[in-house]
Amino acid sequence: MEIINYLILSSIIFSIGLLGIFINRKNMITILMSIELMLLGVNINFIGFSYHLNDLSGQIFAMFILVVAAAEAAVGLAILTVFFKNKGTISVDKINQMKG
Amino acid sequence: MNLFFLIISTLLVIFSALVVLSKNTVHSVLFLIFSFFNAAILFLISNAEFLAMTLIIVYVGAVAVLFLFVVMMININFTKLKEGFLKYLPFGILLSFIFLTELTVIFSDFVVDFKEPKINIENLFLSGNSNTKSLGLFMYTEYFIIFQMSAYVLLVAMIGAIVLAYNPKKKVKSQDIFYQNNIKKEDVIRLTDPNNKEK
Repeated sequence: MEIINYLILSSIIFSIGLLGIFINRKNMITILMSIELMLLGVNINFIGFSYHLNDLSGQIFAMFILVVAAAEAAVGLAILTVFFKNKGTISVDKINQMKG
Repeated sequence: MNLFFLIISTLLVIFSALVVLSKNTVHSVLFLIFSFFNAAILFLISNAEFLAMTLIIVYVGAVAVLFLFVVMMININFTKLKEGFLKYLPFGILLSFIFLTELTVIFSDFVVDFKEPKINIENLFLSGNSNTKSLGLFMYTEYFIIFQMSAYVLLVAMIGAIVLAYNPKKKVKSQDIFYQNNIKKEDVIRLTDPNNKEK
């Protein structure tokens, strides 16, 4: 496959993740899932370049992205459960306690 | 190969869109799992076998199940969550469309200049190394510091998640070995006279 196919696919998936962050204002779980989608798009970009340039560095970098994504999901979901315990909602609009 | 790539990428885009647009959050998680499977197949046809399997194990086996657990733990009316949907939809579509257009403009006259690859997959493969082995050969030597750093990232994330989700107010019956070993005979045994009727 040509590199342009990988690039277009990864940018479409990244844009879908971006769209998901904007339209799901009431649901923090879907926002976290959108962030996972964006990271997947970045990973596809890395794998595409690794395949195209015949270089293993891209795969190693994608692996570290997987590590960071897993850590981020764990901490994000823990924050979500604590937030739900305190407020009884998972809406992003309600996160305004630090607002002056 | 070309047609296969097209089919898989189309499925990937459709299911990613369904993750974002689906009304039910459980359905969103299931679509996310499906799109990760498609991405794994995409990685497989791009000569990244180990990463494909890692994607399935880490994402489908751990992260998606974590999402499912949280969705089931949180007892909330999910139908009310889509109320602001139409309010933010034009703005979101505009922003992602602008972003996508910018990327497409950049990619349209994008030329990759071929340099000598830093770690050549072809040479590694011809000398009898599998994808997993060649990843290991470089991850444990050249990228060792970053590897250790990622281990620390996971450690910090684990401790952070435990500290956040831990609820110390709840009384849990557990063994206190120090207390048990330091207990004295006088504290627990009370001698009474059996002849005394009043005890």
